[in-house]
Amino acid sequence: MAKLDIPLILIGALASAALLIPALDVGLGKVRNAKFSAYFTMLILAFALLILTIGGLGLVTLDSSVPNLLQNDLLGVFFGFVVILVALLVTVASFDYMKDNPNVSIYYSFLLFTSLGMVVLSFAVDLLMIFVAWELMSLPTFILAGFMKKDKLSNEAAVKYFILGALSSGILLYGMSIIFGLSGSTNLNVVLNALTDLSPNMIPVAGFGAVMLIAGFGLKLSIVPFHMWIPDAYEGAPTTVSALLSAATKKAGFVAAIRVFAVIFPLLRFDLSMSLAIIAIATMTLGNLAALTQKSMTRMLAYSSIAQGGYLLIGLVVLPTSPLGLSGLLYHSLNHALLQATAFIAVAAFRHKTSKTSISSYNGLARVMPITAFSLMISLLGLVGIPPLNGFWSKLVLFTAAADGGFAWLALGGLVNSAISLGYYGIIVKRMYMDEPTEKVSIKESFPFTAVLLIASMIIILTGIFPGPVYEFASRASIQFLSGI
Amino acid sequence: MVELVNASIPWLVFGVPFIGALLIPFLSRAGDQIRNYIAVAITFVSAVFALMMIPLALAGETLHNQVAWIPSLGITAGVLADPLSVLMANVVAWISLAIMIYSLGYMKGDPNLTRYWFFMIFFIGSMQLIVLSDNFLQLFFGWEGVGLASYALIGFWNKDKQSDYVGTVGHKAWGIATAFSPSHAGMKAFVMTRVGDVSFLIGIFVLYFFAGTFDFTLLAQEHGWAVDLARAGLLIPVAVLIFGGAIGKSAQFPLQEWLPDAMAGPTSVSALIHAATMVNAGVFLVARIGPLFATAAQAVNLIAPFFETIAWIGVFTAFLAASQAMVAKEVKKVLAYSTISQIGFMMLALGVAGLSANFLSGFIAGFFHFTSHAIFKAALFMGAGALIHVTHTKYMSEMGGLRKEMRFTFIAMTIAAGALAGIPLLSGFWSKDAILASVLDINSFGLAMPLFALATITAVMTAFYSARMIGMIFFGKKSQHLEEMEKEGKPVHEASRLMLLPYLALAGVTLLLGFTGPFFEGFLDFSFASHLEQGFGMVVIEAPFSINPVALAASLGALAVGGFFGYSFYIGRRFDPGKVLASSGFVRSIHAFLENRWYINSIYYIVFVNGSLRVATFLHKWVEIAILNRINSSVTNSTQYFSSISGKFDRYVVDGVVTGIASISLFLSKLLTKIQTGVTEQYVFGFSTGIIFLVILMSILL
Repeated sequence: MAKLDIPLILIGALASAALLIPALDVGLGKVRNAKFSAYFTMLILAFALLILTIGGLGLVTLDSSVPNLLQNDLLGVFFGFVVILVALLVTVASFDYMKDNPNVSIYYSFLLFTSLGMVVLSFAVDLLMIFVAWELMSLPTFILAGFMKKDKLSNEAAVKYFILGALSSGILLYGMSIIFGLSGSTNLNVVLNALTDLSPNMIPVAGFGAVMLIAGFGLKLSIVPFHMWIPDAYEGAPTTVSALLSAATKKAGFVAAIRVFAVIFPLLRFDLSMSLAIIAIATMTLGNLAALTQKSMTRMLAYSSIAQGGYLLIGLVVLPTSPLGLSGLLYHSLNHALLQATAFIAVAAFRHKTSKTSISSYNGLARVMPITAFSLMISLLGLVGIPPLNGFWSKLVLFTAAADGGFAWLALGGLVNSAISLGYYGIIVKRMYMDEPTEKVSIKESFPFTAVLLIASMIIILTGIFPGPVYEFASRASIQFLSGI
Repeated sequence: MVELVNASIPWLVFGVPFIGALLIPFLSRAGDQIRNYIAVAITFVSAVFALMMIPLALAGETLHNQVAWIPSLGITAGVLADPLSVLMANVVAWISLAIMIYSLGYMKGDPNLTRYWFFMIFFIGSMQLIVLSDNFLQLFFGWEGVGLASYALIGFWNKDKQSDYVGTVGHKAWGIATAFSPSHAGMKAFVMTRVGDVSFLIGIFVLYFFAGTFDFTLLAQEHGWAVDLARAGLLIPVAVLIFGGAIGKSAQFPLQEWLPDAMAGPTSVSALIHAATMVNAGVFLVARIGPLFATAAQAVNLIAPFFETIAWIGVFTAFLAASQAMVAKEVKKVLAYSTISQIGFMMLALGVAGLSANFLSGFIAGFFHFTSHAIFKAALFMGAGALIHVTHTKYMSEMGGLRKEMRFTFIAMTIAAGALAGIPLLSGFWSKDAILASVLDINSFGLAMPLFALATITAVMTAFYSARMIGMIFFGKKSQHLEEMEKEGKPVHEASRLMLLPYLALAGVTLLLGFTGPFFEGFLDFSFASHLEQGFGMVVIEAPFSINPVALAASLGALAVGGFFGYSFYIGRRFDPGKVLASSGFVRSIHAFLENRWYINSIYYIVFVNGSLRVATFLHKWVEIAILNRINSSVTNSTQYFSSISGKFDRYVVDGVVTGIASISLFLSKLLTKIQTGVTEQYVFGFSTGIIFLVILMSILL
C-alpha cells in the first residue's frame, strides 16, 4: 500500500491556501477575489476531506515524517475529518451569509487558518506542538467572532472571548509546564513512561497539573464552570462562526484532551475520572436547565452546546475503564458536530434573511422557509437523541460506556438530562410547525444554504438509519489509539 | 427465492408505509384527489402484506429474519413474525384501513391534508415497526415514531380555535384550567408519554447491559441475564421500568392524564390512537415482555411482584377511568375514559397470566379483549365523529333523540356500545368474560378476590356509561341546540356513505366475532400455545373453550345492575339525573370529584408544570446569573447600557461616515471601559473560582 503523510499534506495545502487568498486581493481585486476565495476555500477543504477519507477508509498506510511531533494515526484522521467536514459546511453556508462583507477574503483566510490549527491539533503528540496548534486554532477565531466590525454584540463577543481565551492559554501552558517539570519531556509517549515511575509524593503535584489542564482545555470544551463566555460569544459572533466554534473547535479541544489525559490517567485514574464525572453532570444539567429559559435562539443553542459538551465528557471519564468510552466519545463528536453545525447554519440562514434571533420569531417558519425549518427540526431532534437520527446511537454508546465503566449514575443523569432537553428543543419544533407565523411574508431561501442544509440533514438521517459504517470508523480509531498507550 | 420473498413480507408491512409517507408531499403536487386515494392505497397495500403473514399464525409458526446493524456492538435489525405479532399486525392494519377510508369523508376539504396523510401513514408504519421488531432497540424506534406522530396529529388543528378545544373552557379545578388547546394537548401527550419512554429506555438499557443483547429470541433462549439481574437486585426494577413505557403509551395510572385531552385532535386520529396504534403499543409491549420475564424468571422465581404490579395498575386504572366516564359530558371523552379503562382490563389479564399456573389463559384473554376492543372502539369513535360532524357539537347534552335521523349510526353505535358493556353474544362479552375467568385462575385466593371485585365493579360502571352514552345521544327529546338547527333549516341527517361504511362494517365484524367468539378463542388458544411453547419453552395447558360460572354470573350481574341504572336514567328516562344531582350535596361533591378527574390532573399541573418552571427560572436566575456572575445587578446594568449605546449608534451611523467613525471609536472605548470594570471581569472571576473549586475537589479525592 502506498504511504500517505496526511498531516504534512494538509498543513501544506491549508497553509498555502490561507496565505494565498488575501494576497490575491491585489491581483484579482477585492470584488472578484471575494467570489474566488469562497470557492477556492471550498475546494481546498473538499480536497482535505478527500485525503482524510482515503486515510480513514484504510486505503493507504498512515505514515508520518515527524512522528515525535505529529502522529499520523486514525484518531487524528477521525477528528481531522470531523473538523474539516464542519469547516466545509460552514464555508458553503458563508457564501451567502458573508456576501455583503467587504473583507470576505480575510474571512476565508482565517477560516482556513483555524482549520489548519484544528488539523494540527488532531495529530499533535507533543505538548509544545499541542500548544502551538491550540493558539493557531484560537487566534483566528477571536477575529472571526468579531468579524462584524460594526456590530456591537460581535465586538463585545470577540473581546470577551479573547480575554478568556488568553487566560485559558496561560493556564494551559502552566499545566503543561508542570507536566514537563515532572517528566522532563514534552513528547507525550516519553511523558507517559516517565509518569509511571513517578514517586508517590509527587502525585498531588500531578493532580494540580491536571486541574490546570482541565481548566485550560475547559474553555474550548465549554465545560462548567468555564462556559460563561459561550452564550455571549455565540450570540455576538456571525452565526456561521458560532457553528464553527461549537461544532469544530470544541471537537479539536477534545482530541487534545484525549491525548493528554490518556497520559495522565494511569497516574490519577480514579480521582481524575471522578472529578471529570462531577464536571460532566454539572455541565449537562446546567446547560440543559439554562437552555430551558432562553428567549434567543442562538443563546439557547449555546447552552445546548454546553450540555452536549457534558455528554461528550462522559467518554473522557470512562476512558481508562471502558473500551466503549473512547469510541462513544468519537462517535458522538462526529454526530454532534454535524447536528450542531446544521442547527447553527439553519439559524444563520434565518438570521441572514430576517436579522432576528428571538425564539418567538421562529413561529410558523415551516411555511415561510420549509427547507430551513426541516433541517432545523432534524438537527434539534437529533440533538435530543430521537431515533432514528444519528444522535440517538452515539448517546446510547456513551451511556452504555458510562455504565460499563462503573459510572451508572452518570448514565442515568445523562438519560434524564436528554429527557429534559426535549423541553426546549421540542418547543422550537412546535413553534416552527404548529404555530402561526407572526407576519405572512414569503422568504426566498438562497441556494447555498438550502444545499448545505439538505445535504447535512440527509447525512444525519442516513447515518441514523445505517449507523454501522460511522461507528466502525470511530471504533477502529479508538481501538488503535488505546492499543498504542 | 421463495424464502427471500417470504422473509421480506414483514419488512414491507412497515416499509411500505414509511416510504409511502415520504411520497405524500410529492403526490400533493399531482392533485388533492390523487394524493388522498394513494394515501389509502398505501395503507391497503401494507394491510395486504400483513394478511399474507396470516398462514404463519394459522400454522403456529415463526419467521425470524435478521440483518447486521452495528456489527462491532453486536446490534442487529430484524423482523419477528410470530403468532402474536402477526395477529397484532393484522388488527392494526385492517382497522387502520377502515379509519383511513373514513378519513376521506371526515377530513374532506381540510386545507392541511398533506400533513394529515403523512402523519397518519407514518403513525401506522411506526406501529407496525413496533409490532414486528425482533429486538428492543428497533422497537424503541417505532415507539418514538408513534410518539412524534401522535403529537403532530393531536395538535393537528394548530390554529387553536376555541371550538377545537377539549374540555369546558373556563372551568377550573383547584385553579388549574381544565380546557386545553389542541397544540397544548399534543404537547401534553408527547411530554407525558415521554416520561414513560425514559423509563422504558432506562429499562432496556440496563437489560442490554446485563444481557449483552436487545434481541427477543436470544433473551428468551438464554436466561443467564435474569439470574445476574436478580443477583444485583434489579430484576423487578428493570421489568417495572420497561413496563413504565407501556404505562405512558397506554395511558395507565399514573400517566393516564394525557389521553382525555388528546381528544382535541380530529376524531379519526382519536380512533387510530385508541383502536389501532398508540395505546395498544403498550398492551403489545406487555404481551411481548410478559412471557419473556415469566420464563426467564423461573430460574430465580422472583417475578410475581412484577405481574402483580401490572395487574394492580391495570385494574385500578380500569376503575379510575370508568368512574370518570360516568360523568363525562363530551361524547369523545366518554370514549377516551372508556379506552383507558378497557386497556386497564387488558393489562389486568396480562398481569394475571404471570400469576396463575397456566400462563395461556390470561394471555389469550388479554389479546382477545384487545381485538374485540379495537374493533368496537374504532366503530364507536367513527360514529362519534359522524355525530359531531352533523350536529356541530361535542356535548352529548346537546344531542338527544337522534335514532330516527341517524338510523344506521344508531344501529352501529348501539352494537358497539353493547359489546363494550358486555351484552351476551357480542364480542366484548366473550373477551371480558375470559378476563374475569382468568382472574379467578390466580393461584392466590387472597389476591384474586380484590382484583375480581374491582373488575366486576368496573364492569358495572362500564355498562352504566355505555347505556348513558347511547341514551343521551339517541333517546329522549331533541335538545334545544338541535331544534335551533332545524329552525335554521339545517336538520340533522345521516353521515355520508364514505364515513358510514367503515363503522357499519366494523359493527358487522363485532357481531360476527360475537357469534364466533368461542371459535376465535379456540384459534387463539392453539396459536398462542405454540407461540409460548416454541418461543419461550413454556409448558402451557391448552384448554378447550369453557365458561367459568362464577365469572359468567359476575359479568351478567354487572351488566344487569349497570344497565338497569343506565337504562332507567337515560334510555327509559324514568328518573331525571339532574334532579338526583341537585337533591344531595354528597352526590354533587362526588360528581365534581369525578368530573375533575379525581383532581389528579390539577395536582400534576401544580407540582410538575408550574413547579419545574419555577425550578428552571430559579436556577437560571440565582445560580447561572447571580452566583456565578457575583450577586449584583451587572446583567441588567449592562443590558441598559448596551441598549442606550444602540440608540446612539443608530443616530451616528445615519449622521454620516465621519461621525460614524468617531462614534465607533467612542463606542469601542466605552466598550473597553465596560469590559475592564464590568461583566468580563466577572467571567474571569468565575473562571478562577472554577479552578479553585477543581483544586479543592481533587484534593478531596486524592
